[in-house]
Parts: sequence; structure tokens; C-alpha cells
Amino acid sequence: MGLLQGASELFPVSSLGHAVLVPSLLHWSFKQSDPSFLPFLVLLHLGTATALLVLYRVEWVAIIRGFISAAFRGSIGNDSERLAMLLMVGTIPAAVLGVFLEGRIKALFASPYAAASFLIANGVLMLVFELLRRRSERRAAVDHAPAASREESFAQAERISFRAAALVGACQALAFLPGISRSGVTIGGGLLAGLRHQEAARFSFLLATPTILGAGLLEVPQLFSSGVPLGEYLAGTVLAGIAAYASARFLLRYFRSGRLDPYGWYCIAAGLVSLALLALGL
Amino acid sequence: MKSTPVAYGFLLLGLICVVLAILYVIGGILPTFTSSGVAGPHYKHAILFGVLAVASLIAFNFSRPRTV
Repeated sequence: MGLLQGASELFPVSSLGHAVLVPSLLHWSFKQSDPSFLPFLVLLHLGTATALLVLYRVEWVAIIRGFISAAFRGSIGNDSERLAMLLMVGTIPAAVLGVFLEGRIKALFASPYAAASFLIANGVLMLVFELLRRRSERRAAVDHAPAASREESFAQAERISFRAAALVGACQALAFLPGISRSGVTIGGGLLAGLRHQEAARFSFLLATPTILGAGLLEVPQLFSSGVPLGEYLAGTVLAGIAAYASARFLLRYFRSGRLDPYGWYCIAAGLVSLALLALGL
Repeated sequence: MKSTPVAYGFLLLGLICVVLAILYVIGGILPTFTSSGVAGPHYKHAILFGVLAVASLIAFNFSRPRTV
């Protein structure tokens, strides 16, 4: 589960959807309706967040310094300060929606059918994001340019508007639905806001870190009261972190010229196959 | 956007969030505003309103006009 979650968390294919679907399809003995299931997933997410902190350690030091200085000064002086404020604006909608929608969303975790359906919806979303991006490229007359120079005509993460950052942040709440990918919707949102693919992925990964850490702080204490095998869970967390680090490195390289389409088609296919297998009881 | 009404709006919002955070920590006062409906302390909501209070106060600091 740790490897699965870590590998799929940063790919735009919904780790949560896979975490709900795979145990059901393989008849693993996880009870998704168990109260410790969500905290367990959050613990795995903490492994991912740690991997992202390690990957962006230098940037996070600059962001935290930028946040403190910009907050006290009341103005933005450089790119790190702007990025820190963008991340704050992007994190708040997800935090508010997460806390208030959590109860209703928990009920959906018990249904692999819902996860498979949302996975298909996630695939369609990825394709729509790329469709809209291609339209922007045609408008900017760079659609026939080589991938590297085509990407050059779009912006870096620090140049995203605050309104767009808030919208991208709010999109994160969609990922509480198993099957909808947090990184997928935030990368897609970044693309719609005019970011390069690689910068949209970077903004998505940076935005994920406080959200996942916050969710972890709120949910992990439940693990210690529910009598779960903490040793096994922690081993899963370490594996999730290692897999997430490798995934992030791969994706940042992939998105220099790659697009979301392959992941969209994968989600649609995986969702359809899962629905068929579940319906047949295999 | 530097504007006195907007700045004071953020300040008011921040203060409301501080009060709500305190009420959720104390518990027993806002049971209808929790998902469980239980009258005890609700730390998750308290932390959220604490974070919102900090964000509102930062927004206040950004939006208040300054005299040089």
C-alpha cells in the first residue's frame, strides 16, 4: 500500500482512488469503512509530504523566510515572498472545504464503485485540461513550435495570479473524492492559469505539502487510539516517501515537454476495467 | 488593493475567527456548528479558525493604506 500510494500520489491518477480500488480488486483484508483507514492513508500521505519537503528543501526555507517577512512587512518584495503568499492563498480553500466536507466524503470511501467512477471522471478532466491548453497554444500561435519553446511562452509558478491560486487551491478539495487526483486537478488548474507544464507540477507539489501536513496533523492522532499495527503502518509510510520522491523527480523531468493526456487515458481505462471487474465480482 | 474599508473588513474577520477558535477550544458553546453535534471541544475547527485568523490579519496588514 505504501509503494502504491507513494507512486500514485504525485502522478495525476488519484492515489486515493487506487488505495480504495486496489485492495478491493485484490481482496486484501483492508476495511475501507474502518475508522483507521483514513488516518492510515493520511500517514502514507505524510511520507509523501516528507519526500516533497526533502525535494524542495532549499525552496521551502526561502518560502518560510519569505512568508514571515512579507506577512510582517505587509508587502511582497521578491519571488519567494510572492510564492509564499500564493501558497497561503491556495491552501486556505482546501483547508476550509476539507474540514467541513470531511464527514460526508468519508462515507464515499467505502465504495470502490464510486472510486472507479470518479477515476473515469478524473481521466476526462485531464483530457479537457489539455484540450483547453492546446486552444491557448493555438491562440498564442505556438502550437506547431517544438515542445521546449512552446512551454517557454507560458509562465512560471511565481507569476500566477492570486485569484488563480485560490481557484487551484479550491480544486484540491475535489481530491477528497476517491478517484479524483489532487495533483491532476491542481496541475490542470495551473495550466488553465497559464503556467508551463513543469511549473504547474512544481506549484502543485508545493501546494500539496502544507495541505497534506495539515491533514496529517489532524488525523494521525486517531491512529494511536485505534490499536492499529503502527510498525507496519510506519514501514508503509517510509516506502510511500521513497516512491513519492522518485515519482516527483520523474514527473518534473517528464513535464518539461510531456502532457497530461497519457494519464487521462490511463484513468479512463483503469476506471472502466475496475468497474467491469467489480460488476463481475472478480 | 490598499483600502481602509477592505483592511478593516479583514481585521474584523480576523477577530471573529479568533473568537470562534476560542469558542471551539472551550467547547460546549457551539455544538450545532460541529459535524458531530457533540458539545465538547472541537480542536479541528479551532485550528482551522486559528489559521483563518492569522490569514485574515496578514490580509489586513497587506490591504491597509500606509502614510509615508
